Amino acid sequence: MFDRYVGISPKSDLLLLQLLGAKLHNRSFLHINSTRSGGGVAEILQRMIPIIAELGIDVRWEVIEGDLEFFDITKKIHNALQGNPEKFTEKMWQHHYEINRKNAEKLTLDADAVIIHDPQPAPLIHFRKRGRWIWRCHIDLSNPQLYVWNNLSRYCKKYDAVIFSVSKFARAMPVEKFIITPSIDPISEKNRELTDGEIQETLNKFQIPTDRPIILQVSRFDRFKDPVGVIKAFRIVKKYNECILVLAGSPATDDPEGEIVLNEVKEFVNNDPDIYILLLPAFSDKDINALQRIATVILQKSIKEGFGLTVSEAMWKGKPVIGGAVGGIPLQIIHSVTGFLVNSAEGAAFRIRQLLNNPEMAKRMGENAKEHVRKNFLITRQIRDYLSIWYSLENKGKSIIEL
Amino acid sequence: MAEIIEPFEFKQCISILKSTGKKAKDLRELRNVIARISDECIFHHTYQYFLKGHILEYTSDFAHWAGETLEERALSEHLSNIDPYDFKSIHDLRNKLLEVIDNYLEHFPEPRQAIPGDDFFFNETVTLIFPAGIRAKNLAEFLTAIKYVDAGSVYYHFFEARIRLGGGIDDFSRWVEDALGKKELVERIRSVDPFMHDLEGIRRHIAEAVEEEVKRDMEVIDRCLTGM
Repeated sequence: MFDRYVGISPKSDLLLLQLLGAKLHNRSFLHINSTRSGGGVAEILQRMIPIIAELGIDVRWEVIEGDLEFFDITKKIHNALQGNPEKFTEKMWQHHYEINRKNAEKLTLDADAVIIHDPQPAPLIHFRKRGRWIWRCHIDLSNPQLYVWNNLSRYCKKYDAVIFSVSKFARAMPVEKFIITPSIDPISEKNRELTDGEIQETLNKFQIPTDRPIILQVSRFDRFKDPVGVIKAFRIVKKYNECILVLAGSPATDDPEGEIVLNEVKEFVNNDPDIYILLLPAFSDKDINALQRIATVILQKSIKEGFGLTVSEAMWKGKPVIGGAVGGIPLQIIHSVTGFLVNSAEGAAFRIRQLLNNPEMAKRMGENAKEHVRKNFLITRQIRDYLSIWYSLENKGKSIIEL
Repeated sequence: MAEIIEPFEFKQCISILKSTGKKAKDLRELRNVIARISDECIFHHTYQYFLKGHILEYTSDFAHWAGETLEERALSEHLSNIDPYDFKSIHDLRNKLLEVIDNYLEHFPEPRQAIPGDDFFFNETVTLIFPAGIRAKNLAEFLTAIKYVDAGSVYYHFFEARIRLGGGIDDFSRWVEDALGKKELVERIRSVDPFMHDLEGIRRHIAEAVEEEVKRDMEVIDRCLTGM
């Protein structure tokens, strides 16, 4: 597994991983979250755990169990931390704690380092046996409902350190606060190299013509992803350049708004034969990969975004990406170097035209984009950072550590 | 018998970001936090800006934020003109930053605010230094190595060394001087302005200087022959 990243990930990252692996050899490392599959956290843990094990670290991944009420509460916590008003009672917080207490009885929490992912298992810190405990927050905490954050932070403050994805997602807390950006796996089905035949298969499946440049946005049908804005931009571009637009996204079954937004989009498309709306079922990773590889320009015109890892996924295919200047997108797109940041449909249209009319510039930007992802947003860098934090906590107080 | 030369051990470093929990939404807040934040934080937002390998539009995170977020272009030019390598201590650098901002505030006392979420976030780093696994025993090996070591290694030896060892001297020229005694090459490497190039530019300039020196060393026999 580790060998598969040689020649892909920066060699310094691989070297440091091996050095840290030697320093932390046979030590125990436990990750705990609330689901084995579905969602970004489970997806990255599935791929990360075997790599960490291969480095000689005794790594385990445990998942807490809960009833429907528990997950209803944690969904509300999640939404409230992202700013939505939600009603909470003391009984709900007690249930949150109680389910964690029951899990603590079943799970072996003994480890040299423990990373607890997100709010669901955060109360487990009360049942800590030993070792370094780190709370990994994957959510944007920049503007939470304070009554919810105050309740949750009772637990978070007890950890040795917390990790946020972006500086602006962090909150002031009396513990060490690290910033680790998320990552993509370059050898996963969504990101691996594809053969021409595999790409053609996808194009045939969706009957997408390749006689004109393809403009692509891959995202859920969600207003925050601004699919209507993308179509507006496309219509401006069409006055000047021949091209087609592909909007590809999974129908969000758990999101009642998804259906409404999709209908709005369809209405706005008004049977335009040059706009392709693709409803991809779950596990369409290879198709998304193929679409990104065949596209000329890729958009992520969000008006609100978490980290927005689809940007890195597109950049990894050597494509220039035009993204909304929100959330974590400006960390991935360095304006005019690895892509373009925009604030309006008109801005997006202008940048699409620039890229369509300057293939050399588009190529150069795509190459920069891929290099930027290679250096900053691959899974090996994220593992390197987790192990570095663990190691730095063992050398507490030092801001420079020589291995 | 050839003289035994102390080899050059390439090292490199990576930095893990740490949030201080402090932020600023306008220039006055920025100034007030700069006045009391840790030395490590000032170090990160100035010296470590070069590790990012960005285009050289700006030369520190402070200048970058003033230019891009506050759109205070003149201030960002003033801040970009502060060369951290001109200062003997973070204390002096901090005072210079404050002087520039205070001077600007005197003339423009009501600077605009950043839009929510675009505040300046004050960070620090934990830096891990580790061997790059490359050792050069002579100038020819050094030339090969400098062309392909990671940019993090160029940063560590060319930028970070100036602070680590004091005296504003990089590791490369120090080795050329101490181990090889090549004074002309030492001068050429030291004439590469750390403030004016990104990491790849630094790498290119050093490689060019070393390559010329290696060629000159190889051409000694030719020169003898032509002199006959």
